[in-house]
Amino acid sequence: MKKLNYFLAALLGLSITYTSAQTQKGSVLIKNATVITVTNGTLENSDVLVQDGIIKQVGQNISAPSGVETVDATGKYLMPGIIDAHSHVALDVVNEATAPIVAEVRMRDVVNPFEVGIYRALAGGVTISHAMHGSANVVGGQNVTLKHRWGSEDPADIMMQDAPRTIKFALGENPTRVHGRGRGIQPRTRMGVEAILRNGFNEALQYKKAWEDFNNSSSQKGSTMLAPVYDERLQTLVDILDGKIIIHCHSYRADEIYMLINVARDFGISKLVFQHTNEGFKVAPEIAEYTMGASVFADWWAYKFEVYYSTAFNAAILQKNGAITSINSDSAELIRHLYHEAAKTQRYGGLTDDEALAMITMNPAKQLGISDKVGSIEVGKQADLVIFEGHPLSVYAVPQKTFVDGVKYFDIETDADDQRLRVGPTEMVEPIFMTQEDHRCMQDVELNFSDISQTLFNTNY
Amino acid sequence: MKKTLLKASVLGLLVFGWISNNSLLAQSDPTGKKPITSTYAITNATVFTEPGKSGMKATVLIKDGVIQGVGSNLNLPIETKVISGDSLFIYPGFIDGGSDAGITTPKEPERPKDFVSSNPPDEIAGITPWRSAVDQYSGEDNKVEDFRKAGFTVAQILPDGGMISGKAAIVVYGSEYSNNVLKTNTALVSSFRGSRGMYPGTAVGVMAKFRDVYQNTKLTQQRGEKYQTVSGVSRPEMTPTYTAMMDVINGQVPVMYTAPSELEVRRAISLQKELGFKLILTGLDDYASVIDVIKAANVPVLISLETPDDKAIKAQKEDVSEDVKAQYSRVKEAYDNAIKQAGMLEEAGIPFAFTTAGTKSGDVMKSLKTMIENGLSEQAALAALTTNAASILGMSRVAGTIEKGKMANLVISTDSLFAEDSQIKHVVVDGFIFDYEIKPKKKATKEEDGAPAKVDGAWDYVTESPAGSSGGVFEISKDGSEFKGSITLDDPAGSGKIKSDLKDINVNGKAMSFGFEVAAGGMNISVTVSGEVEGESFDGTMSVDQFGSFPFTATLNPTLIANK
Repeated sequence: MKKLNYFLAALLGLSITYTSAQTQKGSVLIKNATVITVTNGTLENSDVLVQDGIIKQVGQNISAPSGVETVDATGKYLMPGIIDAHSHVALDVVNEATAPIVAEVRMRDVVNPFEVGIYRALAGGVTISHAMHGSANVVGGQNVTLKHRWGSEDPADIMMQDAPRTIKFALGENPTRVHGRGRGIQPRTRMGVEAILRNGFNEALQYKKAWEDFNNSSSQKGSTMLAPVYDERLQTLVDILDGKIIIHCHSYRADEIYMLINVARDFGISKLVFQHTNEGFKVAPEIAEYTMGASVFADWWAYKFEVYYSTAFNAAILQKNGAITSINSDSAELIRHLYHEAAKTQRYGGLTDDEALAMITMNPAKQLGISDKVGSIEVGKQADLVIFEGHPLSVYAVPQKTFVDGVKYFDIETDADDQRLRVGPTEMVEPIFMTQEDHRCMQDVELNFSDISQTLFNTNY
Repeated sequence: MKKTLLKASVLGLLVFGWISNNSLLAQSDPTGKKPITSTYAITNATVFTEPGKSGMKATVLIKDGVIQGVGSNLNLPIETKVISGDSLFIYPGFIDGGSDAGITTPKEPERPKDFVSSNPPDEIAGITPWRSAVDQYSGEDNKVEDFRKAGFTVAQILPDGGMISGKAAIVVYGSEYSNNVLKTNTALVSSFRGSRGMYPGTAVGVMAKFRDVYQNTKLTQQRGEKYQTVSGVSRPEMTPTYTAMMDVINGQVPVMYTAPSELEVRRAISLQKELGFKLILTGLDDYASVIDVIKAANVPVLISLETPDDKAIKAQKEDVSEDVKAQYSRVKEAYDNAIKQAGMLEEAGIPFAFTTAGTKSGDVMKSLKTMIENGLSEQAALAALTTNAASILGMSRVAGTIEKGKMANLVISTDSLFAEDSQIKHVVVDGFIFDYEIKPKKKATKEEDGAPAKVDGAWDYVTESPAGSSGGVFEISKDGSEFKGSITLDDPAGSGKIKSDLKDINVNGKAMSFGFEVAAGGMNISVTVSGEVEGESFDGTMSVDQFGSFPFTATLNPTLIANK
């Protein structure tokens, strides 16, 4: 009977509760900082008291309870931990690229807590990243929100277990190339992408009804109904329809963005965030009205055809139109200086400090459904904090200390040369050559940035 | 027998002394292979009946594949063939927890015309739980012979394939006249390996698909039960996959997950906790940091019977920057930890066994010795090879120890098993005796340090290289306390011989080494020769810059006495 209940629970889409040890929570008093709360202005010469991983007090002249370490941050800036709404750091597998819909795969199955990219992100003040499935499929796998508790051995310990479920969708060139051009199946075109989505959701509705009918019948005596085939792929789509999962959709063009808005409205889906969204500025009012906003690059485009019509004002335009807007990295390199990326919205769009910093803190927190827990410096929130030398939006800003749940995981003063957690016993130590192969298609172009970063940091766009 | 003798002499390695107890051959035996008896006694040997027990002088009597008795006052039946074991050491036959020896990868099925890579048929996607390792196995395979020679008598064979490759089976490495299958359907062999170019293609897809297969097997079972009890129910669809998975979901057959790395160990255990199957972890290479996780999960473990190679350690250079040194030391630390792992498992009280899948038979003893030198006790090593493996495979009643009534599986060595020069002389499997050639024992090293070998004189040498066999003469003479000499060799530039002076001639006990240089193609090639002098013969290797090492043997020519 117990087994059956468990099975039903799985069918109902209740996520698996990982039995893991309590993650570490720290206590610390940070004194005399310029505290950038993001939600409640900037407080000069102020203190933040953290106890057991939670922000307990924000104010002046707070004294440390016994046993709580004090960190002097005089002349420094304290801001909430940076949140990257689009990353692939710490994943052993990014794409299960073999079917147009793979909603059943779970990125939490392949989290790798030893990837040094986590530490590098911490060194850039990033405390939370959204570890996403890739964009090869119209409906990709379920993502996992990570807390950068560097040094944990159990993958479950770097997952933000109280974050809601999210899933990756992708429109346009990537899924049509992989499935249409690559395998000769639907979708070959943007129309095909929409058809995949609508068919998928309609099938999910039938699946849901089949199970409801079966469950209703099984209480009746003498029922001859048999249980339907179990299908976690469809069940996950059902969960999306039931509002249990936030969609994060890779998208570039305005037409496809508007298409997905319409599909979502037709199926009563409101938990939807657009990723990349380079033409978001064209449909900013619609994004603001019907979705949870857009997560964009600050100024990065032209790496494929669908990404040519772009502007560095994109984030500001979306923000001014009332769309929740965040700036993400999608890169193991950019993740180290998202504060620079946020600052670009001041150069291109004149956003205020708080508006710009919200792009990498509060706004991504809202899009990940965790803004009640993180994203700003407020009493009661989880103590994910970064101390900066220099204002975080200055080009001279350097992160000094990064805390997750009040535990310090990065300190520039104790930053050793070799931060790898795991080294192989048969690893040849080879000199690192910072070279790059010649690509004829970009010959004579001085800085083909995406190629350099791909070579060095294994980025996935 | 003729053919076998030929084979044995060609290989120069192994002589089959098989003696069949197959009664089917009893009537008449034109082949001449019929043994005269199936009763043997190895008398007065040092017998280690099980790990942890010290050796005792005893006789082991076996008959028709079963141990009849172990002791000093056994009544030997008249038909007993007696093998004098006075200088021999007897251990229980080794049991391999998971082997790919003798397994041939099945042919890939043809793709159907309507093949869609996003939804391939199970068989093509690597989901073949109905396959049995027995159908892919041949006991005639050289690899089986090699592992038997290393002491293995029983193995759980693993089918090759994809994410669910099929069912394992237990075989004995016995006579060629038996099919040697002890038990089929012993475990479901699974891995995180995806299917190339189709769903599921990656570990993340494989885990999702495993859940899908598992849950749908459960539902299939429920439907089947309802079909049996309620009338008017439509016939439920049974697929080969779900049919073969039934005994897995019912807990009768464990899932054997190949999990080399610590993260894969965690993934397998998390799947097990989620779905509730019986789990055996196999193929562990890197597990030091998950020993507590394994212990908490209380899951049987088969670790790879190999240790990491030390190529990277040997490649570390002296003259490097501090940065590189720091990186070196991390690799060294990782290496040192890796070879300690087996000992750590023992210390944690986890009764593990070995899998030889993917390992080399020639490395078995070397790997065991490395583990033993780094913290694993000999007792635990022997237990991993015998009793632990028997218990994990559920066959403790018939194998794992030397006791009356158990299968006659024995390893018979010339010294205590893990001793430096110990060699395996016989392996008894299922009552059949396999004999192996013993190389002459090297003399104890201490004596060598005494009088240096007499090396002065003229030596005729022969060397084998890919270019063929060549030879010549080298002369060594004493020059005060030093040696000097010269060597003649085939001129690499053409025909004829050239002469080169020997340098760095070193004689230490029986060890002799020297070097010389050869001019070839405008460059100087350094050659070093090292080896051992045994009386008037020299057995060594010649290593040539960039070209590798080749055998080099020589004999002292008594007719050409050197000048002094």
